[in-house]
Amino acid sequence: MIEDLQNQFAEAIQSAEQVGRELRLRVSAPRVPDIARFCKEHGFTYLADITAVDTGTELRVVYRLVNLENGQHLVISVPAARTGGRLPSLCRVFQGAEWPEREVYDLFGVRFDGHPDLRRILLTDDWEGHPLLKTSKT
Amino acid sequence: MTQSLTPTEHVILNMGPQHPSTHGVLRLQLELEGEVVVGCRPIIGYLHRGIEKMAEARTYPQVLPYTDRLDYLSSSSNNMAYVQAVEKLLGVEAPERAQYLRVISLELNRIASHLVFVATFANDLAATTVFLYGIREREMIMDLFEMWAGARLTQSWIRIGGVAQDIPDGFVDQAREFCRLLPKRLEEYDRILTGNRIFRARTEGVGILPPDLGLDYGASGPTLRGSGVAFDIRRSEPYEAYPALDFEIATQPTCDCLGRYLVRMEEMRQSVRIIEQCLDRLPEGEVTAKVGRTIRPPAGEAYGRVESPRGEFGCYVVSDGSPQPVRVRFRAPSFFHLGVLPQMVQGWKVGDVVAILGSIDIVLGEVDR
Repeated sequence: MIEDLQNQFAEAIQSAEQVGRELRLRVSAPRVPDIARFCKEHGFTYLADITAVDTGTELRVVYRLVNLENGQHLVISVPAARTGGRLPSLCRVFQGAEWPEREVYDLFGVRFDGHPDLRRILLTDDWEGHPLLKTSKT
Repeated sequence: MTQSLTPTEHVILNMGPQHPSTHGVLRLQLELEGEVVVGCRPIIGYLHRGIEKMAEARTYPQVLPYTDRLDYLSSSSNNMAYVQAVEKLLGVEAPERAQYLRVISLELNRIASHLVFVATFANDLAATTVFLYGIREREMIMDLFEMWAGARLTQSWIRIGGVAQDIPDGFVDQAREFCRLLPKRLEEYDRILTGNRIFRARTEGVGILPPDLGLDYGASGPTLRGSGVAFDIRRSEPYEAYPALDFEIATQPTCDCLGRYLVRMEEMRQSVRIIEQCLDRLPEGEVTAKVGRTIRPPAGEAYGRVESPRGEFGCYVVSDGSPQPVRVRFRAPSFFHLGVLPQMVQGWKVGDVVAILGSIDIVLGEVDR
């Protein structure tokens, strides 16, 4: 399945690395929902998490899908712009993407195209800025 | 299109954020047609403390006490997920004795949490006596926690490399006594609650969560196992001493509130089995590995993953090689379960919302972080 994935989405997958039970992929944004759908149809039925990491030099959104049959994890990192970053939403593939995507928007400012209800979730609607960006001081 | 002769207006009802059955500061904005729920919007964030942001300005050991304040009914699973991620980064494994002690801690905490669930769930459904029973039994676990951690809730007893200190004299006997007593008390609960007609009427067939929908929403733990999916991280990705221990994964096929309740009841019995095995086999030796005073994991990332009483509690840690983490993310099961709640309450009455919300057993501390 992993080979099929790499063949079918060769142009979108920038790198792939197997670490223990995790397959870590770096993927460019436009194909993320297609890749997620492909994985869901091939056993990765459980969306464990969507979050983001700002390392100071790069902001990336991180998806974690798990295959409950064989315990494989798929960790998909997608780079996003720190201001005005946009990614396609996963909500049409996994309904449960709605809340974690709202959280990534709230705390990192990344917007998700096609999200049905992209509002802040943990902070109040009138909050300014996105606190988990490294540019936002403690 | 024909128009109804008596048009009814939908009413918006705010349940919470100060409402006894929301178990914390949660607001449910319910859209009602008469008494029937046609829409539900959970509003969260009232307890947001920015713990993930704070973690970025702390050293690795300093982050640990913050994790106690996520799922405060089961601080040891939070400790474990964080410690597991850091130990993966460091390439350190706790000594065997510590691994068994950690499992005892995790399972005692699971029972304590499930007891609070049974207590409050019954109380929400007007069975007040059971509330007192559940809290009474939980107190025995709190005493055990106090013996080894000096704290009842915020333990931080599981540390990077092992546990804070070895168990004190008398602990094993007291833990055995608890293991002997609890199954008898659970039988009492069964007699007073499980077979009760009112309790059955309030829970049987109520708040259906189809397994596919649950998976789609990232549901886990008893919430998913109550829908017949035998997914348990203790079995699928065993950590610490779990590979050596014998226990069964409790599931129920009914997908309803009763199923989720029965799963937790059975899990308490299984936890007793696990604890007894650990006490029988507890190896001698050190309880901490050498990790050094300043913890600087090599650059990289790791995901710690434990089966908390509520489901998959994950901790994603990114390191750049400095003494402070670049990112600490807590993947809280309750957050995902609240996400699917609107689907579960659809078409039920306001009173049922109380039962359905109770049955997914959320803790707002981990939802809001």
